[in-house]
Amino acid sequence: MTAEEVVDVVRREGVEKATREVDVVTTGTFGAMCSSGAFLNFGHSEPPIKMQKVWLNDVPAYTGLAAVDAYIGATEIRENGDMDYGGANVIEELIAGSPVHLKATSYGTDCYPRRKIETYVSLKTLNQAYLYNPRNAYQNYSVATNSSDMTLYTYMGKLLPNYGNATFSCAGQLSPLLNDPQCRTIGIGTRIFLGGAEGYVAWEGTQFNTKAPTKSGVPTRSSRTLAVIGDLRDMSTDYVRALNFPRYGISLAVGIGVPIPILDEQMMKCASISDKDILAPVLDYSVQSRTRKPVKEVNYAELRSGTIELFGKKVKTSALSSYYKARQIAEKLKASIAKGDFLLTEPVKKLPEDRAFNPLEIVSKEEVK
Amino acid sequence: MAKRKYLLGFSPTRVREPITYRMVKEFDLMLNILRAEVSERGGRLLIEIEGKPSKITSGVKYLQDKGVDVKELNEYVSKDEERCTHCGMCVSICPADAFEMDRKTFKVEFNSKKCIACGLCLDACPPNAMKLRIW
Repeated sequence: MTAEEVVDVVRREGVEKATREVDVVTTGTFGAMCSSGAFLNFGHSEPPIKMQKVWLNDVPAYTGLAAVDAYIGATEIRENGDMDYGGANVIEELIAGSPVHLKATSYGTDCYPRRKIETYVSLKTLNQAYLYNPRNAYQNYSVATNSSDMTLYTYMGKLLPNYGNATFSCAGQLSPLLNDPQCRTIGIGTRIFLGGAEGYVAWEGTQFNTKAPTKSGVPTRSSRTLAVIGDLRDMSTDYVRALNFPRYGISLAVGIGVPIPILDEQMMKCASISDKDILAPVLDYSVQSRTRKPVKEVNYAELRSGTIELFGKKVKTSALSSYYKARQIAEKLKASIAKGDFLLTEPVKKLPEDRAFNPLEIVSKEEVK
Repeated sequence: MAKRKYLLGFSPTRVREPITYRMVKEFDLMLNILRAEVSERGGRLLIEIEGKPSKITSGVKYLQDKGVDVKELNEYVSKDEERCTHCGMCVSICPADAFEMDRKTFKVEFNSKKCIACGLCLDACPPNAMKLRIW
C-alpha cells in the first residue's frame, strides 16, 4: 500500500487492524536534488592518458582521482558562462543513451604519455557509470517566499515580489523520511527505488540533522537526508531529469522511493501520517542570511490546496517537487514488491541517532575548534 | 460575443497610421493589447479582440485590406508534455491562471485560451517545458 492510501485505511480501520493487514508501505518523491552526481570510468586510450582536466559536453568534471575516473556533479555549468546546460544535462543525456563529447587534458607522465584527447562516449562505452548523490530525499524542507519588491531567482524557483507566491519542495505524506521519521527501518544498505532503477542507501546524507524540532512525531524543519547510490544504466529519464533555474543554475530532479516495512503499530502510526499533520516553516528568501526566522508555519494540506495565507493575504503556492511523479514512484514500487521483483532489505547499519548540523564560521587557525 | 487572439504585423510605412483604432471604432470591438513592439522591421501587435463573431471577421478583413499581416493565434506558448514533470511551479507564476493543478490526478493542465502572452512562465519552468511559439 502507498503512504497516501494508508492514510485513509488507518483513519477507517484504526492502527491495530491496519498493522495486521498491511506489510509494507511505499513512499515516493521527485524533486530538485542539487547534491547529486555520477562517477564514471572512461577506460584507457591508446596511448593512455592520466586525465587532469575533463569536460563532458563542455561541462567540467572532477578527475582528481585515478587516471580515467571522474565525477560529474549535477550543478556544474559550462565554463563559457552558459548557465543553461550543466552536469545534470550530461547525466540525463547519458541515461537517454545519447553520445557525449569527452575532452581531457594532462601533463603527461612516463606511464601515461598522452596529453590531450577528444572523443565521444556513451552509457554503452563507459565501464562504470553510477549515480552517487551525497544528499537526497530531505526529511521536510522550508517554504520560500519573497517580501521584497523585486523578483528573486532562487533554487526554490522564481519568487514573485511582495509575497506574490510561495514555493515548497517536499512530497509531504508521500515523502520517504517523513514516513519513518526516526529511521527505524531506513539505514545503510536499504534497497530503494532510485531514478527508475534499484538503488541503495549508501550513507547518512550530508547535513543529516537529528536536532530539528518535531510536531506529530515528524520534524518541522529540514532534518535527515540520505546519500544514495545506483547504476545509471538501469535508470530512466522519466525519473532523472535535468532542471534549469534561470539565474540560479542547474539541478537534477531525482525520483526516489523507499519501502517501509510495518514492523509494529508504532511504525504504522508513523507511515500513516497525513499532509495536515506535517508542518513546514515559511522563509523570506529576500533576507540573505542563514539566520532568517520563519515568518509562519504551514501544513502540507494548506500548501497543496493552492494558496496559503500570509499577513492577511492569499498567496498562491507552487510545488517544485512533483506529487504526480511521487505518486507514480510509490505505485511502481508497490507493484514491484507485490510481484516479488523488488525485495526488501534490513539495514546493514543504522543511520546516526544524534547528529547536529554545524554552520561554517569564519575564524583564525587559533580559534577553530 | 467571441474572443480571439491575433498577431498583427505592420510594415514600416504603416506604423504611423491609427489602423487598429479605426477598426475598433468602426466594428464596435473591444480590444486588449497583450504585447506591442516597433522596430526597424515595422510594428507588431498581439491583441485579443472581443465582439460579435461577424464583426470580428469584418474587422480582420478591414485590417487585411489596409495591408496588415494578420495571424490568428491559438498558442503564444506551448507546454512540452514530454518535458513537463507536473511539479506545478508555473501555477503560482501565471497571472492569468492559465495553469491548473488537477487536485485529483496532480497533473498540470495548460489552458491556452486563458494565456495573456506575458511570458512569465518561460523562465520559471525548471524542466524547460514551456516553449515560445511566436514573437
